[in-house]
Amino acid sequence: MPLMTRTDVTAVKFFDNYVLAGIGSQVNVFDKNSGSFLCKKEVLTGQKIYGFVISKCRQRILVFGGKKFTVVKVKVECLDTDMLERCFEPVVCNDWLLSCLWCGDTIALLTAHNVVQKWDVSSQTLVSEHASKDNSILYSGLLVPLCEDVLVMAGTVFSESIIHKCGDKVPLHRLRGHKGVIFSISCEPDKNLIVTTSDDRSVRIWSPKTIPMLPSNSLDYWQNIDIVCKYELYGHQARVMRNCITNSYVVSVGEDSVICIWDFEGKLLKKNTAHQNGCIWAVDYSDNLLVTGGGDSGVILHPLATNKHYCESQIINIDVGMPKRVLLTARRNVVILNDEDDLMYYIIDSKKTTAYKLSHESTYKLLSLSSCKQMVAVADMNGKFDVFAESCKNEPVLVNLIDTKLHLGKILSMHWAGNRHLVLCSEDGNINVLAYNNNTELYASFSLPACKERWLTSAAVDMKANIFVLGDRCGNINVYVKGKRDPIKTFIKVHGRYGPTSITIKNNHVVTTGRDGAIKYFHVDSISNQFNYMNRKDLEFPWVEKFLDKDDNLICGFQERVFVVYNMRDSCKVLEVACGGGHRSWDAQRCIIKTKDKFEPIIQLVYVKNSDINLQTYFLNKLMSRNLIKGSHSKEINCLKVYKDSQDNTKSFYISGGEDTTLRISSADIRHDMNITFRDEVVFKHLSSVRTLKLVPTIPNGLLVISGGGRAQINIKNVQFIKNADEIEVESQELVEYLVKGTDKERKGNQSWKNCTVDFDPETRIMDIDVIKDNEDLFIFAGCSDAVLRIFSFNNTFKTITESKYHKTCILKTHCFRFLDKDILATATTRGNVAFWLIDDLHSKDNWEPFFIVKTRESGVNSIATKVFDNNILLATGGDDNSILLHFLKPNQGELTSLAIESTWSSSNYHSSQITGILIVEDLLLSTSIDQRITLFKWNIENGIDCEYKTQMYSNVADIQGMDVLDVSSDSIKVCVFGKGLEVVSIPKHSN
Amino acid sequence: MGKTSKDKRDIYYRLAKEEGWRARSAFKLLQINEEHNIFEGVLRAVDLCAAPGSWSQVLTKSLRQNAANVDDVKIVAVDLQAMAALPGVKQIQGDITKVSTANEIIQEFKGLKADLVVCDGAPDVTGLHDIDEYVQSQLLLAALNITTHVLKVGGVFVAKIFRGKDVSLLYSQLKQFFEYVTVTKPKSSRNSSIEAFVVCQNYSPPSGYIPNMVNPLLDHKYCDFNQFTGPNRFIVPFNACGDLSAYDSDTSYPLILEGQTMYEYKEPVQEPINPPYKDIIDKTKKLQIKNS
Repeated sequence: MPLMTRTDVTAVKFFDNYVLAGIGSQVNVFDKNSGSFLCKKEVLTGQKIYGFVISKCRQRILVFGGKKFTVVKVKVECLDTDMLERCFEPVVCNDWLLSCLWCGDTIALLTAHNVVQKWDVSSQTLVSEHASKDNSILYSGLLVPLCEDVLVMAGTVFSESIIHKCGDKVPLHRLRGHKGVIFSISCEPDKNLIVTTSDDRSVRIWSPKTIPMLPSNSLDYWQNIDIVCKYELYGHQARVMRNCITNSYVVSVGEDSVICIWDFEGKLLKKNTAHQNGCIWAVDYSDNLLVTGGGDSGVILHPLATNKHYCESQIINIDVGMPKRVLLTARRNVVILNDEDDLMYYIIDSKKTTAYKLSHESTYKLLSLSSCKQMVAVADMNGKFDVFAESCKNEPVLVNLIDTKLHLGKILSMHWAGNRHLVLCSEDGNINVLAYNNNTELYASFSLPACKERWLTSAAVDMKANIFVLGDRCGNINVYVKGKRDPIKTFIKVHGRYGPTSITIKNNHVVTTGRDGAIKYFHVDSISNQFNYMNRKDLEFPWVEKFLDKDDNLICGFQERVFVVYNMRDSCKVLEVACGGGHRSWDAQRCIIKTKDKFEPIIQLVYVKNSDINLQTYFLNKLMSRNLIKGSHSKEINCLKVYKDSQDNTKSFYISGGEDTTLRISSADIRHDMNITFRDEVVFKHLSSVRTLKLVPTIPNGLLVISGGGRAQINIKNVQFIKNADEIEVESQELVEYLVKGTDKERKGNQSWKNCTVDFDPETRIMDIDVIKDNEDLFIFAGCSDAVLRIFSFNNTFKTITESKYHKTCILKTHCFRFLDKDILATATTRGNVAFWLIDDLHSKDNWEPFFIVKTRESGVNSIATKVFDNNILLATGGDDNSILLHFLKPNQGELTSLAIESTWSSSNYHSSQITGILIVEDLLLSTSIDQRITLFKWNIENGIDCEYKTQMYSNVADIQGMDVLDVSSDSIKVCVFGKGLEVVSIPKHSN
Repeated sequence: MGKTSKDKRDIYYRLAKEEGWRARSAFKLLQINEEHNIFEGVLRAVDLCAAPGSWSQVLTKSLRQNAANVDDVKIVAVDLQAMAALPGVKQIQGDITKVSTANEIIQEFKGLKADLVVCDGAPDVTGLHDIDEYVQSQLLLAALNITTHVLKVGGVFVAKIFRGKDVSLLYSQLKQFFEYVTVTKPKSSRNSSIEAFVVCQNYSPPSGYIPNMVNPLLDHKYCDFNQFTGPNRFIVPFNACGDLSAYDSDTSYPLILEGQTMYEYKEPVQEPINPPYKDIIDKTKKLQIKNS
């Protein structure tokens, strides 16, 4: 069995106290209550699992997928690791299976050509077969038990669902209405419900027009009803893949990563996104839980709850004036500023309101709450200034501490930096910091550099380092130290047009959020006076406001009119509330409350809508999903490298880039099940798909990660692995974000798309890169889709060195190696040419040309490897033509440029499709292909190059794009293959 | 995204518009013919799953050169969907799994059988590779099944395949009906796509084989001579096709191609008809969950 398999999760099922998940050909078992992993077992060798059906006696589980099925016994009395026992080798049917049903000791199977097969389980023999006339391929189907026989529901490509009794010639019902392929059918006869989902993005609920007084499992019932579409429901933005009918809801899941919960009257009660934009392939329910499996390889448990279960809401009445601003305090009470010059304090428990007259002269009012949420500062533009404090103990009251008038000119902004410092910005960029220490004193004053809208939007202080970090309205981040008026460092335009929304400082790290959909990270070292931009994290909503908890895990913001709470650790939205948008006055906080002797985390949200103050409490335990297996890339992984850190040999790191435009650094703990411990440490975004990446180790524990892909983008990151207690933390700094063709702005200037002139240059994708390190310089060779080989250098700055247009077609691979004390580059194209280039003195090259070319095949070269030994080169290539080619290259009289082919070996008998990965390890050759096989050969050059087949194994990963070596021991090789997911397998070296 | 982006992204998409083909796939059939001479002597051809009709276009254009009298050339296009009319092509809107469709084709050929059957049909892909590969193979076998009704002995069958994990099962099934089976990949088909084409030559059904539409043809199972893994796998020869000078579909080209002096944007030849998601966009726009 593979050491780790991460791929589409195509089947999930609750079974008593367990959760079953089908991952590739393996069944994974989890404890339903604790969520802990119990065991896994290879069940359907060579076939993905698509379904589990539990027998009536609840002791046997039918596992099926593709054309295979088998039965598994659950032995509760055994140890967790041995609890699954496969009763027989999988049976291979002659057609694809869509639905299965236990009927005593026989099972009924529905195939993709609308045939019902009945098998005797104990002898595994086919008992009978019943074909339907409607035998065009089905995408979905369902067998429903009848007391007479079996009812068949068939979901066709022709947008109708056909219902017939098994064996009958004439169908009972044709459910028409969908406008595309039917992807799923569920049926709850007791509830008189059928639910179908389709390509046309709709979910349809069907019911008998009139419900007959007949048992719903009788043929009579089905013969005497007239089924009509009761509700045609739209909630998904993409194809709706699966659905299930729970006790009170219909749950649908789709390609858009969305889970919709509907009531039986078709009302959408909840919509939430999981699985990182990957398709959701499987869903099941049990009491108050849902489980989903997705295209991001994740398995997630969700509370099956709707608004009425997890939300308490109320409207606060204030007697005087209209509410203008609202804030939530440490004791979960509400501070309200009205339009009649009052500051009000509303106590939630007693529902009492106290008002304080402010006697402001101006209606331009500023209100700010300290980090501890106990200090409220309020001022008007002319300097009337009050500070209130909420009492910590006893009866909650708001005490006025300061009531004064400041003479700072027109005050434009006011923000608390921490709990003791108030940062006020007045005209001409005059910033005054007031410190509160029983009295106010001027602590520091700064000057904000001139800009269009010269005031602040956020502030933070780090007392240890004695720095203030202030964000201005033009998006800049300024760092000040007490004593200096001007900023000691300014980061220009960090957060777009509206300025940073929040700044937090923690252990030398500054984290800022903004209305550009991003969180940005900076590193601050006040001793050496170094301030560096590290990296950014892009979220799924454009307006990112602030962190809600101390762990910086829950972050909130807005997506158009919807308030969003996002879980950073699990990369998913926790809560969406259509409150009207962030422009209205609102506040939110996460806190813990005590309810019935237990502590519960909640989110409190207050907002003003239609002059009403809405206060809502969300109970996180009924809202937060739990990962059984954490998801990662939602689409194909195009490139992956394995890294092992010398500080911790229990972990392996996977650096991967994919079609989902992300670059991820993930880790897995090899002491436990790697799929369970696998997690993304950091996720970066590219503009388009990430096609290639290379690693360059740095001393002592770091890496340069060089990645490239669509939109001709090349990025370089400095990644450090920092040991912190028992954990290794991954810290990264973006060094280069380069677009060969320039950014949109550089290319088009400020012209709008309408009057933009046509850009005649080809669009370019970086297909592959390789890197060599020469002293401190890094040379980057990028093979591009526009047939150009581009060479860059990096040493603090990123420079274009030269380019070659030697190749006339798309370059698929670039590969560097050392030979005869020289650096050599090999490039391979879609026409099968492999060219060898001598890398020396690149700066003076205008017409760089290869010194040696091998034509390997007519079609593209999709994988390349070399090995240098005894001053010879072994070149291995794999291509679109299923062939593996070995070229044994020898230089004439040791002269590099007189390289010649000594002998060749080729075979196209081992893979049936494109060969995307090839590796030479010692005297072994490994190849892998889209056909999901990994082949091991042994090569020798006794009489010219020769290669001998050793073994081949199957991989659960579809669309394999390549492989990397994890480990080579005396008797085995561990490799990681990647594509739609990733898999780590150990291949014995000495097999025959 | 600008109007020209698609032209830049895909050279064959652009060339298809410039040369009046309804889809870029026209080049695939042309390039397959360059390598395999599948049009040689062909007078009667069937295009299965023909919409939007680019392969029928290629057939009309190419086969006319085979006959002194243009009327001797007969091309039948079959598809479930309606397709815009093409001069010289008889359209049958029908299901390829039905005997009636086969009879209609034969009738069109005045009782004679076809010299060539082509099929460029592809299913709605789900994103799960094994399902997509299976459905594609079933589509191909359905095409093969109707082909056994209409193709003359010695005739040629060309169809699209997905080269996934179980493609060898399909090869072994095809090999039962044809003497030569080759897999070919035109230059106009992207390197990154799992699509390829089988060119099956010299139709020679197993002795005693009676064409039958009632039971669909199913693909084979793994067996001794075609194992699941190992050296005994049934792998058919592969070749790349398309002229060396032909454009490469993976390469990004500038808008002004070599030898050209100007570029003009052209509208697509045939717009798509009725996609399933057509009237959904509006419906979802208004959707919002009420919190109450």
